[in-house]
Order: sequence, then structure tokens, then C-alpha cells
Amino acid sequence: MNINSNLKKQNTYDAIVVGSGISGGWAAKELTEKGLRVLMLERGMDIKHVKDYDSAMKAPWEFEHAGKLTEEQKRTHPVQTRDYPYNEATEKWWVNDLDCPYTEDKRFDWYRGFHMGGKSLMWGRQSYRFSDHNFEDNARDGHGNDWPIRYKDIAPWYDYAEKFIGVSGQNENWPLLPDGQFLPPMDLNCVEKSVKERIEKHYNKNRILTIGRTANLTVPHNGRGNCQYRNLCSRGCPFGAYFSTQSSTLPAAMATKRLTVRPYSIVNHIIYDKDTKKAKGVMVIDAETNETMEFYAKIVFVNASTLGSTFLLLNSTSDAHPTGLGNGSGQLGHNLMDHHFRCGAEGSAEGFEDKYTYGRRANGIYIPRYQNVGNDKRDYLRGFGYQGGASRGLWHKEVAELAFGGDFKDTMSLPADSWSMGLGGFGEMLPYYENRVYIDHSKKDKWGQPVLAIDCEIKENEAKMREDMMNDAAEMLEASGMKNVKTYDNDYYPGMAIHEMGTARMGNDPKTSVLNKWNQMHEVSNVFVTDGSCMPSIACQNPSLTFMALTARACDHAVKELKKGNI
Amino acid sequence: MDRRKALKNVAILLGTAISSSTIGVLFESFTLPENQKNHVSFSASDEEVLSEFADIILPTTKSSLGAKAAGVGVFIPMMIRDCYPVAMQQIFASGLIEMEANCIKAYNKNFLSLTIEERQKILVDLRTQTIESKSKASFFTLARDLTLLGYFSSEIGCTQAREYLPVPGRYDGSADYKPGQKAWATN
Repeated sequence: MNINSNLKKQNTYDAIVVGSGISGGWAAKELTEKGLRVLMLERGMDIKHVKDYDSAMKAPWEFEHAGKLTEEQKRTHPVQTRDYPYNEATEKWWVNDLDCPYTEDKRFDWYRGFHMGGKSLMWGRQSYRFSDHNFEDNARDGHGNDWPIRYKDIAPWYDYAEKFIGVSGQNENWPLLPDGQFLPPMDLNCVEKSVKERIEKHYNKNRILTIGRTANLTVPHNGRGNCQYRNLCSRGCPFGAYFSTQSSTLPAAMATKRLTVRPYSIVNHIIYDKDTKKAKGVMVIDAETNETMEFYAKIVFVNASTLGSTFLLLNSTSDAHPTGLGNGSGQLGHNLMDHHFRCGAEGSAEGFEDKYTYGRRANGIYIPRYQNVGNDKRDYLRGFGYQGGASRGLWHKEVAELAFGGDFKDTMSLPADSWSMGLGGFGEMLPYYENRVYIDHSKKDKWGQPVLAIDCEIKENEAKMREDMMNDAAEMLEASGMKNVKTYDNDYYPGMAIHEMGTARMGNDPKTSVLNKWNQMHEVSNVFVTDGSCMPSIACQNPSLTFMALTARACDHAVKELKKGNI
Repeated sequence: MDRRKALKNVAILLGTAISSSTIGVLFESFTLPENQKNHVSFSASDEEVLSEFADIILPTTKSSLGAKAAGVGVFIPMMIRDCYPVAMQQIFASGLIEMEANCIKAYNKNFLSLTIEERQKILVDLRTQTIESKSKASFFTLARDLTLLGYFSSEIGCTQAREYLPVPGRYDGSADYKPGQKAWATN
């Protein structure tokens, strides 16, 4: 490729960030704020804050198909269609599965948002810290490798991240769920308050129920407006009331005037310089024109989402790195994990007929993990937490099957007679070496790149845990006076939680890990990976807050090292 | 938030008692052959029939206008063509023809020429048949489900039958419920 020196200079930055999602946006913000000129490469289209939230303010009758998907949408999104997030209102923000195929050795539902902001636009916003118990679990039971950090290393960065993004929640002094820097919590509703009181009394406060800790603002924060309780977050918020790249990190980075953003830029591989033993830059395929080009930088942050990043690293082969960049340990692609969920219990609450809700709370309750701590011993390792909530819906059990007519319509215009409450478990999946991804060269995507093959399943530990996730939930609901309590298991397949993590794990030992304790590649000192791929274990808490904290911490280290001349 | 509610049936959250066959179609993925497009088509007269059918399912009452006024007659055939696989489209289309045939048999008049009471009787019989046959998908369940979906997402359904609150501004989880207070239109 004949690059004239001017073009090379134009294409040279202090840092390149691959990906503009939850962690990529943070890398761009931190690095630009610390004085670096940064190029952020996003493989998909741009989405401008508020201006491009086409469906955000639409009334139900403004959707042609009442929110349902057409056969054509199902045809081009066969994987995204497998679960609820892809619907008429959000349909532009989920990947076209036919353009971006992948191989499922076992079923893996890979939900992807290929656009500016990535999944930070559609995420669930639940934000919990990991505790030392979580960081110690791998070493304690021998599954996976020891985390190279402990809570004290990341605690100041959790503070930092929470203070910037705004998380509303209630401090509970619960060891497995460290407290945070919270904005005022949202309210529990009347049924949840009653259930909380009764569960905590019944179990002698060995279990607690708290309001969800969510990245929705309950008060104005850093120039962003507070939540208006419309519960339409995944369409983009015109008030900026939840954290996304668009509402928060991108404006901060842009304010430095040191950020260049290039959408439609698919990073195909990291360019390795065997003489300096560092990354030189990246090779990009323009997603619209298929033109290829190179960009150069002193450091590269890989934030392309867990499997996007690992694909990129596996695809960045060279003589020095024949099986993928920084893969001397052989761990790249291995230890894939996801939270298993979609099981729990539900029941109906009687005695609240004179109460209703006003406003639609985009948040639920949380019961933090209480298993395998203290005197609570289970026949499986690790544990689970619960999300859920109570609502007064529209299900009229007294209505006859297939009823119709004037009385029927009038009945359906009223809320249900009773409230219902549900608890859904989110369980930890152990790190298993055999749960892995690798590159499948037999298929090509729309741009001629090979595809990812995914081989992942839950095993005995998870199966046993799921029994308890259902039974414990039922027991707690019954103890709270709920009636008609039923357990459910709606069948879980890996990927469905959209919390896929692992495959480029951190560790102290270069023989068993890809990254060191600073998220820095052991073997390539100017490459940092701070999205979900870096996680040695996943606990049961929602992970994005941890990605943000690790990213900010890694950026701090990277810039210090750069200034010292170490990288 | 839906996935965090421990409610199996997502359709329940919409407040419409959608049958399992329709849920299966609306929420499961199908891989259709490349060129499979709308196989059935509906005439203006079909739309009128469906409009009147829907108005029997959800008629005008004191509190709110019915499904006809809400435009469900046009919504139903559009959804059948856009959102259902061919097999279901054909069940619907042949069921519609069969209903017309039943009207001729019972009253020697087509559906549009029947009185309201006669139409109600036709639907009662259809409902009974459907329950007895225990079939997973039928014209009656599809048409009724789409009537409910179309009506309760329409402007009339949301703002007359129920109460539509676009920007609540706050959350009160222990608000007083006044007897007869309408349900919120959206979750």
C-alpha cells in the first residue's frame, strides 16, 4: 500500500479507541481529557443524541405494526428476533444477522448493536459493584485464574465512574454488594415494600431486598435531565436521563476538542510492529465503500464489545503472534461466560386493590447474592441475585376464554384486580476453558472477513443453581404472603443475558492470561483491552459499571506509562 | 425492563389476552424462503367485514368508541400480510371465507347484511367451535387477538378506553386507586 507521508501524518493519533460503546466511550473521554489526541473508530452508523432517537417520543399508535416485527425483519434478523429487545421501536439498533453471520457450535444468541454508542443505547442500566468475595472466588474454588486485582484497587474507580454517570440507589451495607456514590433511590412500590419487610423479617436479615441501582438520574446531573418515568429508555432518551455514550462520555470527550470520531470503520486487525514489539495502529475497512485504510497511534484501546474485541485480536495474526495478538498463553478465545437467567417465581399479591402506580419506573428491585456465604452452603459453587418487581397489570383472570363484547372491552380498560410480583434470578456461570470462540474461515461476512465460531454451554454447576433460583424465589414469595406462587424456567441459552464476558482475561501470569492487572496486554505493552472480554469471572452482578471503572483505571495507567516513556 | 419481570407471557404486559398461537407467531423467529412475500390479499370489502367483526369483539360502549372507529378493520389484514408466515395467512384467509359461508347458511345473507345480534350469534358460534376444537391457530383467535392488539394500541384505545400519559414526570408506587379508574395505556 502506497501511503504518502502526509496521509500517514493525517492518520496518526496519540491513541486509537476501537468501539464507541459503554467502555469505548469512556476510553475516549479519559484519554482526551488527559491530553491525548484520540481517534475513536465505530464500525456502524452514527447516531446523534436526541436528534436521531426517532422513536423516542412516539405514541403506540404511531407504530405501523403496533410494535411487532414484520416477516422481512425476522428474515434479516433471525438471531436478534429470538428475544424481546429487538422490536419495531428499536429495530434500527440491532445488527442485520445476515450481513454479520457467525457459527454456533452450540446455540449462542449473540445480540449486537453496531452503531455509535453500541449497546450503551439499549442497555438495562442496572449498575452494581463487584466485591472482594467475587474477586476472590476464582482463587477460592480453583475455577478460572486468580483476578490480578482486588476491591481496593478498583474501589476509587467505581467512585469515579458512579459520580460521573449518575447512579440512583440505596446504600445497604451488604458485603457482597458494596455501596456506592448514589443519587437518591427510586421508590419501591407498595407491594415491594411489603415483600421487602416480610422477606427481611422471615430470614432475619440474612437476605435483603433493595431498589435497583440504575444509571437513570433521579435528579439533574452534570447538565443532564432527570428521568421522566416513561420507561422507553431503549429508544434513546431525549432528556439524557440515562447513561449512554451519547448522553455522557461523548459530549465530555468532544468538549476537549481532541476527539475524532470515524463511523462506518470496521477494524479488521491491529498492525503489529515486530521490531518495536508494539502495535503500530489498525487496518480499517470502510463499512460503506469497502475501501481499506490504516490509522496509527502510540496506544490502542480495544473496546469492540467482548466478542468483537476477541475476534479482532484472534484476527490480528503475525509471525510473532501466530494464533492471535498477545495469545502466548493460548487463553485468547477461551473462558467465555454469560449470566444465566430466565427462571424464578411469580405470585399474586392480595390486599392492594386500593393502590395503583403513577408513572412507569424503568427499574426494579434487587436481591443481592446470599448463597455460599457465612452459614449458607449449597451443593453448587458461587451464586445468584434476583431482579424483579411488582406491578398491577391488565390480566383479568375472571374473564372467560376468548371473551368479547362491550362488557369485555370495559373490563379490559381497567387494571387487574390484584397486583403480581415476580423474582427472576441472574446466576453466575463458571469460567470453563472449553467454552470458547475461535475464527471460522469457512464463512465470510458482508465485507469478506472470516466469522466467529462460538461453542458455549452451561454445565452442572449452573443447572443445580437454577433449581435454587426457582425454589428460593418461590419460598420467598410465599413467605411474603403471595398467593398462587408458581416457578418458571423459560429456557436459557448462552448469550441471552447479553452479558457475554471473558475470552481475553486479565491475570498476573502471562502463561495463563492475556492481560495484566492494568488491562494491558502482557506481550504488547501499548494495547489495552477494557471491555467485557477482560473478565476472569463474572459474579452475578450486571457488569457494565465494572467495565467503566476498569477502563478509567487502565486509561490512567496508560497515559502515565506513555508520559514516562515506558510504552 | 420486561425481562426483569417474572412474567412468562410478554403479551400479558400489553394487557391483551393474546392466545398462545399468536404469541408463537409474533415472538418466534421464522426462516422463510427468500421470495416468500404476502401470499394472501384482502379486498376493500374484506376490510369492511373485518372492521364490523372487530366492532363486535370490541364495540362502542359508554366510555369509549369501538374497534371500527379505531381503524382496526385496516390494521388486521395489514398485520396478517406483514407479520405472519404463509401458513397462518392461509388459515386466516380461509377462515374468513368460511365465516361468510356460515352467514349464508344460517341467515341467507352475507356478514355485512346481518344485524348486530345476528353477527354476535355468528361470533358466539365461532368462539364455541374454536374452544371445542382446541386448535392452536384459527381465524377466530387470530382475528380477535389482532383486534385487541390494534385497538389497545390505537389512539382511541389508548386515550378513551384507557388513560395515556406520555410524560409522567414522577413515579408513585403507592398511588390511590379510585374505583373505576381506567388502566394506564402503556407500560
